[in-house]
Amino acid sequence: MDFQAYNKILICKDNIKNVLVGDVTVGYAFKIKYPSYRGAFLSCIEDLKFEMDGEPIPASQISFKLNGKDFLLSEIPECFKEYWFVRDPATIFVRVPGGIEKGEHRVRVYMKHRVPYTGYFGQYLTLTSDVTETRAAE
Amino acid sequence: MSDIKLGISLYSFSTEFIHEKLDFEGICKKAHDMGYQGVEIVAAQMVPEYPYPSDEWLAWCKDILAKYELEPVCWSAYIDMGIRGDRDLTEEEIIQFTVNDLIYAKKAGFPMVRTQHAISPKIFRQMLPFCKQLGVKLTIEMHHPHHPEVPVWKEYFEIMKGEGKGWLGFVPDFSIFQTMPHKLYLDQAISFGCRPEKLAEIVELHRQKADYSVVANGDFNDIEKHTAEEMFGKFSAPAKMEQWKDMIDCAFYMHGKFYYLDNDDHDPCIPFEEIVAEVRRLGYKGYIASEYEGHHFDETIDSEEQLRHFVALMTKNIEK
Repeated sequence: MDFQAYNKILICKDNIKNVLVGDVTVGYAFKIKYPSYRGAFLSCIEDLKFEMDGEPIPASQISFKLNGKDFLLSEIPECFKEYWFVRDPATIFVRVPGGIEKGEHRVRVYMKHRVPYTGYFGQYLTLTSDVTETRAAE
Repeated sequence: MSDIKLGISLYSFSTEFIHEKLDFEGICKKAHDMGYQGVEIVAAQMVPEYPYPSDEWLAWCKDILAKYELEPVCWSAYIDMGIRGDRDLTEEEIIQFTVNDLIYAKKAGFPMVRTQHAISPKIFRQMLPFCKQLGVKLTIEMHHPHHPEVPVWKEYFEIMKGEGKGWLGFVPDFSIFQTMPHKLYLDQAISFGCRPEKLAEIVELHRQKADYSVVANGDFNDIEKHTAEEMFGKFSAPAKMEQWKDMIDCAFYMHGKFYYLDNDDHDPCIPFEEIVAEVRRLGYKGYIASEYEGHHFDETIDSEEQLRHFVALMTKNIEK
């Protein structure tokens, strides 16, 4: 099955970080990369979901930050002029009062994405990258 | 001296690039240190801010290639028909992307753009005046699962041999000659749940040209059936050596695609000896890119070691 080895880069090795505004912890953030050998427009992503320690993170709490902009998860399939360079991490900012507890957590990222040039005989190849990793929160 | 030269697609270092072990300059240095001259770049992979790169980066790229004595051979572009979920690209969009890639290639010093089959014969033909104006050739890659008998290629060859002669051409990728799955593919299938003895049975059935229904109705688990279906679909209609003679005059460049080599002499999956012998006999002059693609399947393999096996294997055959 082509392209499966690229799932190894999906969840970045960086620690999970609490996000402070002044002295207020407004949430936490972690980083992901596009699981491919090349970049693509965000509109190639058909579905993107996250879990922390086995619990789904509601989309309403998430900002997807890339190229100096913030996107709602629901906006991503419409972003056909926003390119995700394969070496650039996107930051997933989760708004939750108090942030996240220090220590190890299980992060799950589920991404369904279309390989945009694969329609050789009409059908696009759609890949599922479903990765769970342990990452430390600082 | 042979008229065939061995070049490299920098894409061969995908693992090192995406895992941030080597950056673009590091890869150029590595290619130089390995003795390569002609290089290809996959723009969507290595060009920051692509598909809207800055003039500064393109000029820097040209300087870096000069610094490491590398010859720009091919700027590789895609026709990403499926960018949007609601529809395919329109003609105008395909033209815009293609025009842009021709311009970027020119700015970075590349004399050729490689694009993909989905460009359509109409747009391919329409690009000719712009190619001549810029002095940049435009080629279409023939990549698996396409092969010389896919109907649209008849139209492409007519354009390449006719009005586009010398400017519009093609890049055969040796994946079209692959006869059986490679080791990394089989190892991955086992890691996904194929039982080794059952997988060996499937490979043997495929070798004997059995019908997929034998597996579908046999004692195999779901992942084994899925793997067999993919294997039987992918590797059952390789291109034939006798097809070279009708298309070699359109080949401006070639992709020496390979997935895994454990020696310097032979690949059981792609018949490099026959390919090189035939294109030499037909008088091919130009580059064959070393294009390592095992990184789709296994990121623990050392790309440089793979490339060294490939260079040894190809050099023997080119210099025969």
